[in-house]
Amino acid sequence: MEKNIKQIVSLALDMAKGAGCSASRAGAEISVQSSFSVRNNVLDRLHSSTGSTLFLQLFIDGRYGYYSTNRTEADELKNFIDKAAEATKLLAPDNDRVLPDKDLLFTGIAKDLGQFDSDFNNITPEEKRDITFSCSQEIFGKDPRIISSNCEYGDSLEYYYMADSEGFSGESRQTSYSVSAECSAKDKGNARPEAWWYESSMKFADLQRVGCGKNAMERALARLAPRKLKSGKYNMVLENTVASRVVSPIISALNGAAIHQNNSFLAGKLGERIFTSDLYFIDRPHEYGYEGSRYFDSEGIATKPMNIIDKGVIKSYYLNTYNARKLGMKPTIEGPSLLSVSLNGKLPSHVPEITLENVLKVSGKGILVTGFNGGNSNSSSGDFSFGIQGFYFENGIILHPIKEMNVTGNIVELWNSLKITGDDPKRGSRWLIPTLMFESVTFNGN
Amino acid sequence: MNKAESMMAMFGVTDNNLKRLISVALSKGGDYADIYFEHSVSNELNLRDSEVNGAGTHVDYGVGIRVIKGEGTGYAYTEITTMAEMERAAGIAAAIATSGTPKLAPAEIISPLFKERYRAEIPWDGVSFSDRIPTLTELDELVFQADSRVVKVLAKISDSNTKILFFNSEGIIAAEERPMASVAVTCIMQHEGKTENGSSSRSFRMGYEMLSKNLVKELAEEVVSRTAIQFEAGRPKGGEMPVVMGAGSSGILLHEAIGHAFEADFNRMGTSIFSDKLGKKICSDEISVVDDGTIFANRGSVSFDDEGVESQKTYMVKDGVLNSYLHDRISAKYYNTDPTGNGRRESFRFMPLPRMRATYMESGRSKESELISSVKNGLFVNNFSNGQVQIGAGDFTFFVKSGFIIENGRLTTPVKDINIIGNGPEALADIVGIADNSVIDDGTWTCGKEQYCAVSCGMPSVLVSKLTVGGVE
Repeated sequence: MEKNIKQIVSLALDMAKGAGCSASRAGAEISVQSSFSVRNNVLDRLHSSTGSTLFLQLFIDGRYGYYSTNRTEADELKNFIDKAAEATKLLAPDNDRVLPDKDLLFTGIAKDLGQFDSDFNNITPEEKRDITFSCSQEIFGKDPRIISSNCEYGDSLEYYYMADSEGFSGESRQTSYSVSAECSAKDKGNARPEAWWYESSMKFADLQRVGCGKNAMERALARLAPRKLKSGKYNMVLENTVASRVVSPIISALNGAAIHQNNSFLAGKLGERIFTSDLYFIDRPHEYGYEGSRYFDSEGIATKPMNIIDKGVIKSYYLNTYNARKLGMKPTIEGPSLLSVSLNGKLPSHVPEITLENVLKVSGKGILVTGFNGGNSNSSSGDFSFGIQGFYFENGIILHPIKEMNVTGNIVELWNSLKITGDDPKRGSRWLIPTLMFESVTFNGN
Repeated sequence: MNKAESMMAMFGVTDNNLKRLISVALSKGGDYADIYFEHSVSNELNLRDSEVNGAGTHVDYGVGIRVIKGEGTGYAYTEITTMAEMERAAGIAAAIATSGTPKLAPAEIISPLFKERYRAEIPWDGVSFSDRIPTLTELDELVFQADSRVVKVLAKISDSNTKILFFNSEGIIAAEERPMASVAVTCIMQHEGKTENGSSSRSFRMGYEMLSKNLVKELAEEVVSRTAIQFEAGRPKGGEMPVVMGAGSSGILLHEAIGHAFEADFNRMGTSIFSDKLGKKICSDEISVVDDGTIFANRGSVSFDDEGVESQKTYMVKDGVLNSYLHDRISAKYYNTDPTGNGRRESFRFMPLPRMRATYMESGRSKESELISSVKNGLFVNNFSNGQVQIGAGDFTFFVKSGFIIENGRLTTPVKDINIIGNGPEALADIVGIADNSVIDDGTWTCGKEQYCAVSCGMPSVLVSKLTVGGVE
């Protein structure tokens, strides 16, 4: 199948050239997925799929179009690419639409990043089913307050191959396994608060199968009898499962397209100290055994270790070739790979020392945020307002769940109130964001 | 050749092929099976830096096969529509059933007549990109002309045509083409060192005829006014307060606060906060809430849903009483009622679920001005970007892009960028005034429940006596 994909990509590049393209890039992915879900200890859903899609970017004398199809029989593909080229020729030229400089492309040997499990096809449906039911049995019948549970096992294999008309080619393959559980508990009145938990890994043998259901059940029960707090300033501890929510606005603001369109609160801030002097956003894309690691981005540009924010200073934007040329700058990389956040510039260790429990103990009184409920942020100003769910705590002890509250502020000001970062990012995430503690944050309630 | 026959020819299947696939799907004892073929072609055209310099076309093709056993679902899809591949997928889906007698394929094929809910007068596949370009350049010009503070305009036309062939174990066959189009514009302005942005969009199930001069003018005026007012806006003091929701896009309150909680899968599973409320009074007599799939050319409309059930106008709340959940075939069977035409899916890659269509509240008797003048200290909100709900806890949120503080019954300072949070049943019960101005918002609303689905929403202006507003101290 992988050989077939490479042939299709090669054929597509030839066809693009034949259709008059001055340059082109083609990529194809194969995705194989399956899942089992069990609701209230009864098999509820099974799902299986295999798919592949061809992506194509055409460059014709400064004109640029992007196309995709899963119809790749030669005749149909040729017709598709001919039409795509004709459509591209109708556009206005933009001389910044070019393939990347060859010097920037990944050309080395892609050492194993530990992202592929060769046993993927050997795992039987019975094993998958057993994992799902085991998870379910950690919940089912264990507490009368639990009114519904849903447990799921899922796995996937993603293979991607990309090549361009200038000779670049690269491939990646990644497997993924997950087990997740969701529970609803009956509260006073009509409320039925729900909670979830999940575990994931790239190797089947590494999948943490025990405890997922129990965790989800305990989290649902912990949400019973919530209270609304008075509006005011509270210390905010963000659980590692949701901490990326406050990282995303920074990453979006560092994106070259937002910078070029004057739609970023970090435009014009390159080289400036914007954040607290001990804040680091670091990217280590070649670390073994992490989901986010990769050797090249969607243009084929080689990834490299970089500090995006170093001692509070913006050291780099995320610039692809197009946006870099528009801004008169050098391309960097289109976006983060294995991003981590810390107050010491180090990657988290495999055995965390600063966990949620440690952070709560030293955070006085405050709100532990374990989930977000809607909200948004303004890309031009960094002003944000998010709905939250979580718990009120004092001196390391969780006192009660909270309800119907917002957290509101400005994202730069928020990050400048960061006091503690854990070293406990949840494994299985592409970004390694640990528990975070921010001091004196505005919450809206009663 | 009728529509179903022409689709069968396009997907390369015969009556007997369809029956054979149903036989395989039900071979392990499933109760019901259906087959959903889809071929979609979508296009987009982008304007950036005052030039139309980006375009794309995307083709997706495949078939999804579903088997239901009790409340359980087996689902598999394939992008290759040879009988061998489709039989393999049918066999995988069949495995949801582990006991029971294999069932036979339907002897007869029934082709119901569904009322047409949309039509592309000028189908998109016959329109060149060059014919669409003037709409974007004119939109760009009008936005720049409207305000000297405009520094950037991003605009986009998206269109798609989806061909669908559906067949199920009851022998029902249905086929149609579903057009969808949208125009979206974002404007960035700078003034005295500050930058603000705003967006507007329209979306309909229409063909090229949608791209009218009026549409372009309307969008340009709207996006400029939405962006310009941001320079004057701030953030209010946060906390609980009365909120007047403006007509139109405030329908997001219905979508998030109660619409999802009325989707029958959540109720069947007992996880919705409205699970025990069917037939009970839940709000003022003056409130009737509808989920309607029959509005001609509306973004949320369907002639038949993705389970072959004719679309309908469904009263979720009638005169304050919870009248109906939104059903797919599974939940309808569970509740021993008819499906409501809400079984929808993103594409053949997904199994159908109960999903909203166009969800709106019918008009009340008050005037919007009366609602505003009745508030001493509160908020009026009229432009939103996104929302979310926790189905079981009932807490819902929506993000306000613009509105005004109400002081002593009058709109005063503009506000922006605040999240509002409430609890669904409580907020519904806290609606104390309903204006006579219900209107559907025709923006590009897309619901993200497990999979994406085009919807729309609407609302008259309403006064909610108490919601929690995100704001500064």
